[in-house]
Amino acid sequence: MASASRGPKATVDWAELIGRVAARGDREAFRALFEHFAPRIKGFLIKTGCNADEAEEISQSTMVAVWTKAGQFDPSTAGAAAWIFTIARNQRIDAARKAIREGRLSKEIVLDEEADPTLAADQIVSRVEDATRVAAAIERLSAEQSTVIRLSFIEERPHSEIAAVLGLPLGTVKSRIRLAMNRLRDLLDDAT
Amino acid sequence: MTISHHPPEDLLADFATGALDEAERLVVGVHVAECSRCRRFVRAIEQLAGASLDKAEPVAMAADAFDAVLARIDRRPQPAPRVSEVAEIDPELADLPEMVKRCKIGKRRRVAPGISMRPIMLSGTGKSRAFLLRSEPGARMLEHTHSGNELTCVLKGSFSHLGGYYGPGDFDYGDDEVDHRPVVGDEGPCLCLVAMTGDLRMHGLLGRIISPFVRL
Repeated sequence: MASASRGPKATVDWAELIGRVAARGDREAFRALFEHFAPRIKGFLIKTGCNADEAEEISQSTMVAVWTKAGQFDPSTAGAAAWIFTIARNQRIDAARKAIREGRLSKEIVLDEEADPTLAADQIVSRVEDATRVAAAIERLSAEQSTVIRLSFIEERPHSEIAAVLGLPLGTVKSRIRLAMNRLRDLLDDAT
Repeated sequence: MTISHHPPEDLLADFATGALDEAERLVVGVHVAECSRCRRFVRAIEQLAGASLDKAEPVAMAADAFDAVLARIDRRPQPAPRVSEVAEIDPELADLPEMVKRCKIGKRRRVAPGISMRPIMLSGTGKSRAFLLRSEPGARMLEHTHSGNELTCVLKGSFSHLGGYYGPGDFDYGDDEVDHRPVVGDEGPCLCLVAMTGDLRMHGLLGRIISPFVRL
């Protein structure tokens, strides 16, 4: 995999590992996925507002779901990290609901996304053509624009905090977010 | 299907990141499933979120986490095949989007002349409610504003208001500044999927008279 000649920066092909999990329940491939992604899912969840216990539990559920759903992963329509993000997102939504319902985080149960119609991600069919256009649009988004989208929507930071992080007036932050979203929409519409 | 009205971008981004409550997620999801343009936008946000996850500062998992995950995988029961509960017997629901058909849908009740609704039974943990709203051809919805947001996706038929014409797949977003009065198209009943926070506020004398009887 990561050949020595390409140096330490050589990237692991996560999609290929997911494929091995799907094809033959390859536990070594799964261990590599776990070691890379589980701590990052946990870090990402903590950064976006979960406490450490919730983040640990959701990261574990997410990895269980990565195993069980590996056969649904299609590398031609989504990157491995984006696919794992969507699983973590759905596990988090379901965990929050169970926590409200039961007054605690549900242990052990691997939340079944298909049981919740609003998480029926399989109803939103991805196409290869979409992946190409999405990649092209993201490529053309400026660093500044992807940063404000990340801070505002992905990390869900309040506008005032983004203003502080970027050292910009609040009004500028708001207009930058709006412009970045419009730009992304335009780039996606333009791409052929 | 030609879709000409889309959710605002921030709503799509919140859908992609999981920030919407369940009623809103359902209505936006039904639109996105029909709309390739919005589907690409959602995918783009998911790609950005995936990159952000991949670059997140790792936080060590519990020492036994990997073994615990393998144990859960080994214990996991085979999922039972899903059986659709309502679709076959209810002609109104038979040709609706799959995401709606998978919902538990309550009994119809009359809202106003020519207008009825069926609640969608969600887990009830969100702040908004979802329902199917059916309006007979030519029915005029009451002039109203909202105390909260209203998200609408047209499933069948059409309506028009100041914002234009809304046919199947079109998405209408009303917030507390919108004062609109949709008129249903005459091609047949209009069936909409609606998520609503807050309450409708009726305007005008008729609204004030009828408001106590409107149960939305």
